[in-house]
Amino acid sequence: MRRGTDVIERSPARLALSEGWPVLITSVVVGTTYGVLARQSGLGLLETSASSLLIFAGAAQFAALELLKGGASAGEIAVAVLLINARHLLMAAAIRPFVARASLARRLGLAYVLTDEAFALGIGWFRRPRRELAYYATFGVALWACWNVATIVGSLVGSSFEHPERFGVDFAITAVFIAIVATSVRHRTDLIVAAASALVAAALKLAGASTLAVVIAGAVAPLLALRLRQR
Amino acid sequence: MTVWLAVVLGGIATYLTRVTPLVVSVPGAPPPALRRYLDALPIAIIAALAGAGIALPDAEPTHGAELLAGALAFAVAYWRKDLLVAMIVGVIAVALLRAGGL
Repeated sequence: MRRGTDVIERSPARLALSEGWPVLITSVVVGTTYGVLARQSGLGLLETSASSLLIFAGAAQFAALELLKGGASAGEIAVAVLLINARHLLMAAAIRPFVARASLARRLGLAYVLTDEAFALGIGWFRRPRRELAYYATFGVALWACWNVATIVGSLVGSSFEHPERFGVDFAITAVFIAIVATSVRHRTDLIVAAASALVAAALKLAGASTLAVVIAGAVAPLLALRLRQR
Repeated sequence: MTVWLAVVLGGIATYLTRVTPLVVSVPGAPPPALRRYLDALPIAIIAALAGAGIALPDAEPTHGAELLAGALAFAVAYWRKDLLVAMIVGVIAVALLRAGGL
């Protein structure tokens, strides 16, 4: 028995929280924003909370709000959500080797808390290399709790605003989309794809196209990325 | 009703993207082209929604208030890496520009 190692080396669960807290705070801020905007878009507290519980993916949830406002059908919204979240397939495939030995029930749970953030922190942990699942699981559950509580708070706060259009609040979701793009641009290809996609979508919208047409145009734009990288 | 159906269908679709690779064994790695396509997909769709929102805002048609405010929000988000600050700057900017007659 070597005493003292526990004191020096903190448990994976505690490390996950001490290393991940800035990300958790961000999720509280963005989750509250989502709750407010969902309420402004006409969703009740239950609907807003259910969307965060069941979908639990920020960008897709903001997009779903925009589509709802545009009168899209449930099927169209589900297609848009699926396209935006298809990236999870890659992330799940990347963490698969590290969770392969966990029971089926655990894997079902670990999949539920898979987000961009949990993936980024989790894969960093596994590459250190550490094998404990507690790090990924703890951070994933913490982020889930932050996002869902923040959504409820936002929905409650959001009901106190009246006549939002007077204060430019109708522009808030668009501003969030712009901010998501600006914060997730990693290289020149991203920027070119985003710019091309935004311009085509703007032209389509001005020509009277539906929001689903805009989403589909967005889904075509990454083909440009394949062309750009080939050279 | 549309909202509930959208939430449930969207939830199922999302969970399938998260769980499938963890419970179904897929032989080999995904082809590089598919990997690059899926990698660029979210940013492209969100950019499309941003472009559409700038081109045709919900409010009365304006003369470029959204484009200017959008550019400002982009710059703020790019430098500060803060979604909330960028959103607030964008909303205040669009309200001021509209009030200013743009």
